[in-house]
Amino acid sequence: MNPGVVVVAEHERGELADITLEMLACAREVADAAHWPLTCVILAAHAQPFQALPLAADRVLVLEGPGLEGFSPDAYLRVLVPALKGLGPGLVLLGNTGVGMDLAGPLCALLGATAVAGCTRVQVQGSTVVCTSRLYGGKLLAQSELPVGSAVALLLPGSYPRKRGMQNGVPKVEVHAAAASGPLRVRFRELIEPKLDDVDVRKVPVLVAAGRGLQSKENLGILDDLARTLGGAVCATRPVVDQGWLPRSRQVGRSGMTVKPRLYLALGISGAPEHIEGMKESDLIVAVNTDPDAPIFDVAHYGATVDLLDLVPALTDRLRAAKGGT
Amino acid sequence: MKVAVILRQVPDVVEELVIADDGRTLSEEDVMYITNEGDEHALEEALLLKARHAAPVTAFGVGGEEAKDALATAVAKGADEAVFVRSTPDARGDNASLAARLAGPLKTGGYGLVLTGVHAADQLDAGLGGLLAVQLAAPYVGGLTTVHVDVAGAKAVVQKEYAGGRLGVMEVDLPAVLGVQSAEQPPRYVSVGKVTQARRTLQASELSVPSMTVPGVRARALLRPESGAHAKMLEGDADHVAAEIVALVKERGLL
Amino acid sequence: MLAQEKPVDLDRGSESDNATKAFLVRLSRLPEGTKLSACLQCGMCSGSCPLGYAMDINPRQMIAYLRAGRIDDLYRSDSIWLCVSCFNCSFRCPSGIPITDRLIAGLREELLAGGVGVPPELQAAFEKTARYGNPFGESPKKRDAWTRDAGVNIRVLGPGDSADVLWWVGCFGAYNRRNRKDTVAMARVLTALGVDFGILGTDERCSGDVRCTSQGEEGLFDALYRHNVGQLARRKFKEVLVGDPHAYNAFTKEYSRLGTPLRVKHYTQFLAERAPELRKRMKHAIPAKVTYHDACCLGRRNGEYEAPRVVLETIPGVKVVEMPRNRENALCCGGGGGANWLDSFIWERTRVPLPIQRVQEAAKTGADILAVSCPLEIPRFEDAIKTSGLEGRLRVREISDMLAEAMGLAEGRAA
Repeated sequence: MNPGVVVVAEHERGELADITLEMLACAREVADAAHWPLTCVILAAHAQPFQALPLAADRVLVLEGPGLEGFSPDAYLRVLVPALKGLGPGLVLLGNTGVGMDLAGPLCALLGATAVAGCTRVQVQGSTVVCTSRLYGGKLLAQSELPVGSAVALLLPGSYPRKRGMQNGVPKVEVHAAAASGPLRVRFRELIEPKLDDVDVRKVPVLVAAGRGLQSKENLGILDDLARTLGGAVCATRPVVDQGWLPRSRQVGRSGMTVKPRLYLALGISGAPEHIEGMKESDLIVAVNTDPDAPIFDVAHYGATVDLLDLVPALTDRLRAAKGGT
Repeated sequence: MKVAVILRQVPDVVEELVIADDGRTLSEEDVMYITNEGDEHALEEALLLKARHAAPVTAFGVGGEEAKDALATAVAKGADEAVFVRSTPDARGDNASLAARLAGPLKTGGYGLVLTGVHAADQLDAGLGGLLAVQLAAPYVGGLTTVHVDVAGAKAVVQKEYAGGRLGVMEVDLPAVLGVQSAEQPPRYVSVGKVTQARRTLQASELSVPSMTVPGVRARALLRPESGAHAKMLEGDADHVAAEIVALVKERGLL
Repeated sequence: MLAQEKPVDLDRGSESDNATKAFLVRLSRLPEGTKLSACLQCGMCSGSCPLGYAMDINPRQMIAYLRAGRIDDLYRSDSIWLCVSCFNCSFRCPSGIPITDRLIAGLREELLAGGVGVPPELQAAFEKTARYGNPFGESPKKRDAWTRDAGVNIRVLGPGDSADVLWWVGCFGAYNRRNRKDTVAMARVLTALGVDFGILGTDERCSGDVRCTSQGEEGLFDALYRHNVGQLARRKFKEVLVGDPHAYNAFTKEYSRLGTPLRVKHYTQFLAERAPELRKRMKHAIPAKVTYHDACCLGRRNGEYEAPRVVLETIPGVKVVEMPRNRENALCCGGGGGANWLDSFIWERTRVPLPIQRVQEAAKTGADILAVSCPLEIPRFEDAIKTSGLEGRLRVREISDMLAEAMGLAEGRAA
């Protein structure tokens, strides 16, 4: 069988997650270069939402079964392992997400494969899969090799452009029944929505984002002033929320909100990948961090290394003056 | 029910990470070690379970001599038993080999729960939890922020993080391996005096299973991220930068 | 959702009694710890405490509770963490009870040992200090990075080296951006005076400052003390010069109590001795009304009120005006006793934050400059000036910074 690339899709409430399209974009690049087929595998309780999507795959394989309502790694593995054994892919792509990270280890152990996590780039060179991945919160990159045929790569969200995961036309779709699997050891029960306080940071045009560089809770006051002057709201990275300085609904990042405001002011934020994932598509990103090597400057459009505690009040004053002394 | 926690020593990023001459590893001279953050949270969650269910906690400290400090801290915080898993820098980030090494002792230990951080700062391959789970023929789920155990029912009810701040509630049959994202409360403080004392009286057994390398992934190169697209830096003092930002804001019609 | 909290048992009588007794016994083993028994319940402490009004159990009441065997109530109270270590109570107590350093510190230590009720911000500062030797969590290897842009040559003393003066730079002076220009100023002034000095560089760690910053963390102080003393022992010097009054206090009081007597001077004392030389080197006037804020660790704790004023008066053009609360009556900036990390916690429970009160008092004197001799005060008063809307009217400056300007040494300093 011609080794191919298999993308394991992620979806929620009938819609494919962005990471799936990004994985397809990556897989498309690999498949085109190596002349391999590209199969997108979707595990779902109902195949219908996925049967006519213009995905950049050669084939879409939907495995449909009642036990696949909601994500349970146990349920997924019971279907995925035999399916992948049957397909015998050269490379499997998973998302470096809550779903992909649950599947990676067991998949590798059960398929005799090896994974590289946190990948930003995946290529095939002959009989080797070459992965570039992030280590130490993005401070270093590693380049690793995996043998074709036993390679699993977990792709970091935001590494490939979503639109290249789509194409004109709908690929061949096959729907198979996923065998009923008996009692699961990990059972999905329900999804709890976050409690939103007065602000939904996803709907606000300007976000003033606080990172650990804020140093203390009191400094939120000046950020609030700035946000209000700009007609926006204050959001934060995970560490700031974990400390209880702001409610979780204000968290931006992998395990928080994904936002695309017109202006994102990243203050005292170093730029760990988990946070970048949540804001990198903002129209205008201005980052302030006293560390000139902070990874945030790789994603920001403009940056400065001044102290945010000096900058923020100065900025608020100037904005007020520019608005006409409000 | 007994709880095992795997604490891994990883390079502390507060120190600059220097790539060694071989281009593939870190220069050991410059590395300062710290317990992997996710594993700290796993320990905290384990200690919360201990408080609720009187479940003894065994801490496995993986690393060089500094792992013994981490074990002393874990004991000072309340862990009941400490096991030192001596590991050298070349084994760093290789979860597959670590899982193979820990499988035996974890199996014979009879733990109802094995907790570890869902991710390690230095990991190359798949998460430790998932790999361990297969070795132990146990279920695994990760990315957790809450672990509640129903000892009578021999299951755990956990909350798993999803994007957008959503939480998935799941049930897991015990024994199980769980990957902790963050504990229900921040890792507790323990005074330096207590740690010093724990260090003096520490009785950590050393894992007799030697370090092993299973075929897996090795980094062929370590690189600094290229700042391909880099931000245009605004120069000058805070006032000057403020003026420039106002100009940008006006330009974009955001005022 | 979380673990069930144990219900509060108000009738814990004998348990609390025993705990109280154990606490008092422990205290009695420390210097002056038995003095608690001499309390007259006069209320001088509570009355002079700048935050006494916000405490549900004020210092006088704390002693009363201990006499009633009710230490548990003290543990449950927030009051212990409201202390900013200003030393007013201890300074004025007619019985000479070491309230700040024994009572408050002792109670904090118990809580820290139990891991209970300790504000997380303070915990983080302790953890960082324990790990990195400074409360900011910056790499110890970068402790002398500031010397690169100082504009003068600064000797880092290695083991075996000697100098007349060992300059103890301190965490704030070394790492904090807002204090950097003052550290550089100090280096240039010392150089201009021809002082033979050196620094420990990356071998220096937080002084431990136990009676102020690390209050309650005896273990941490111990570890820092042993490290620092070990490093000091490998160098030869005649005296230690400190920029931070907290370090001055730690070295003068605690280090000598523990067996390492050091000849220590605060930089204002060192320079006051050299006032005539300073005067000779003045190049520019600073025509301004200047009011000096007496740092608690230098003033009330160690009785040094005059040296900083002597130094200020060497600067041509300076007219020193006094705030109503000066010298031993100075109002604390609110940053001691770990409070620098507890502002959120404290300000939630009090009315007007202390630094704001103080800068308003300074402004009322008509002063242009609020002069300070403690690095904590720069960020605290700068922020307070902004919050009070006094920007442009009042400026806070470290004395070393003013000296450098007046001596023509201020050019080319990175902010």
